Amino acid sequence: MAKLYVEAVPPADMNKNTEWFMYPGVWTTYILILFFSWLLVLSVLGCSPGMAWTIVNLFHFAITYHFFHWKKGTPFADDQGMYNTLTWWEQMDNGKQLTRNRKFLVVVPVVLYLIASHTTDYQHPMLFLNTLAVMVLVVAKLPNMHKVRIFGINAGN
Amino acid sequence: MVRLPYTTALTTLFSYGLLFAFGQLRDLFRKLLDWFRSKDLKGYAPICLGLEDFYVRRLYLRIQDCFGRPIASAPDAWIDVVERYSNDNNKTLHRTSNSTKCLNLGSYNYLGFAAADEYCTPRVIESLKKYSPSTCSVRVDGGTTQLHAELEELVARFVGKPAAVLFGMGYVTNSAIIPCLIGKGGLLISDSLNHNSIVNGARGSGATVRVFQHNSPSHLEEVLREQIAEGQPRTHRPWKKIIVIVEGIYSMEGELCKLPEIIAVCKKYKAYTYLDEAHSIGAIGKSGRGVCELLGVDPADVDIMMGTFTKSFGSCGGYIAASKEIIQYLKYTCPAHLYATSMSPPAVQQVISAIKVILGEDGSNRGAQKLARIRENSNFFRSELQKMGFEVLGDNDSPVMPIMLYNPAKIPAFSRECLRQNVAVVTVAFPATPLLLARARICISAAHTREDMIKGLEVISKVGDLVGIKYFPTEPPKLAKEAHKKPVAVILP
Repeated sequence: MAKLYVEAVPPADMNKNTEWFMYPGVWTTYILILFFSWLLVLSVLGCSPGMAWTIVNLFHFAITYHFFHWKKGTPFADDQGMYNTLTWWEQMDNGKQLTRNRKFLVVVPVVLYLIASHTTDYQHPMLFLNTLAVMVLVVAKLPNMHKVRIFGINAGN
Repeated sequence: MVRLPYTTALTTLFSYGLLFAFGQLRDLFRKLLDWFRSKDLKGYAPICLGLEDFYVRRLYLRIQDCFGRPIASAPDAWIDVVERYSNDNNKTLHRTSNSTKCLNLGSYNYLGFAAADEYCTPRVIESLKKYSPSTCSVRVDGGTTQLHAELEELVARFVGKPAAVLFGMGYVTNSAIIPCLIGKGGLLISDSLNHNSIVNGARGSGATVRVFQHNSPSHLEEVLREQIAEGQPRTHRPWKKIIVIVEGIYSMEGELCKLPEIIAVCKKYKAYTYLDEAHSIGAIGKSGRGVCELLGVDPADVDIMMGTFTKSFGSCGGYIAASKEIIQYLKYTCPAHLYATSMSPPAVQQVISAIKVILGEDGSNRGAQKLARIRENSNFFRSELQKMGFEVLGDNDSPVMPIMLYNPAKIPAFSRECLRQNVAVVTVAFPATPLLLARARICISAAHTREDMIKGLEVISKVGDLVGIKYFPTEPPKLAKEAHKKPVAVILP
């Protein structure tokens, strides 16, 4: 094992909702959760590997869209509602765009899309659903979409 | 800086993810089940907005029995903890009338003044009879007794500053003083791990707040240079004043602040310094005068020194010590002085007697003995824990030692198992600490005897094996006797 111990320097990020993402091991945990959920879907449903990747991709889309781009605010009342109008994605890294964490989180849905569409041999209807998922996720994470609410959707408190 | 095994980081993140997922599922089911129930709010807004209370409802309440345990005796080295039970899986807890005597490793009773003391208690009872429990008045009206004046002089002499002012509550001392010292157009630079009272005071002051990386004078210098060059936001005018706020001992880390370097940086850039000695006053330093004495800093170099009487002096309240002009100004402007009830006279007498014992002015050397004992106790306990393989934070000589737990499931496991074996420990989780770094915080006191500490160490070692928190390799006992070298785990300051 290469690195048995890691050092965790407490980051100077005051927002407790997003500072956990700056600790070592987060990226690996994310990738491992995706991989193990693919195995779980395969074993429970007994479908083809491509179908399983599509299901993982769509669930990933639903869950990450809901928690990163829909839910606003923080799960505790300590910060007195400072972030009540910002989604988790907008709170990340204090609003700074194009940091390493953000780039990683954009790459993951794209890689998932590539794996899902490759293993299903680019057949419809899976291809359509996968493409829709990755397009929505990537557009939502663009720097130009910071604090943008299209047609006022999700602008309410 | 903590060092944790990589697999622990992965499993901790995964556990929190699982807890979060289960909490969301439960919320979803609750929303579905309550879909058709009428929500008659009568035109009022709901108390909790959206996700605000998610953490409290779905994570904190599950292990509520580990926090807020009621006690039934004075917080001495041994303490009576009231037993509680719950019928609905920890949503509500009910007290019984039984209590168990446990070894107290959680109270900030650094010098042992929390229980009845042979010098302090008779004098406190006398002052209770003479002055009554409350002055029933604010300081400026009729609430300044002889005792208050005596204590202000004594505190100023003890700390090494020209003057001091007292307040009835430690938290209020920070959150009401900082807005008086600085306002809009000023800059507050505070350590990233500062206590909530400082954060509260900083927010209430209206000044711009910037944070520097915990205990790193180089990052402080970087932040100072950047901010002085940029000036106030939007107008870019120079700042009206800059105050840097640090603490003596950080209560969640147990480590000392790098005071000499930070003071040097502040002097170079002409910023004021505010030192919060809540945990360090009375507990460290050769004569108990706090972190300035321990690190060899002249108190005249720190502009404002704040402290509390709750930890080492066994009382309640806080003080600010600074130059005569600043204290005079604070007495005219601070709302905690003008509108809040003054400190209770028996509490003031307790602090006076405690300081007299520490200084040796009571005619005995009990103060010096207590100080030597707490230093010995802390160093012994810390080195033994490190030999057993626990990850213990904090510097040598500091009486606060957090033991890292990391995993959220180990928090209730450690806490409940220790209670079953009659040791009361305090466990701290998110949001008081960062998400991954949950810990059990041990506070050693001068009242602990060697047998108490050995018993505590045995129990913690057994529970540590059961729970699995010995992250570092243990030192084999025979090697420990031969070579007194530091164990494998190096705790970086």
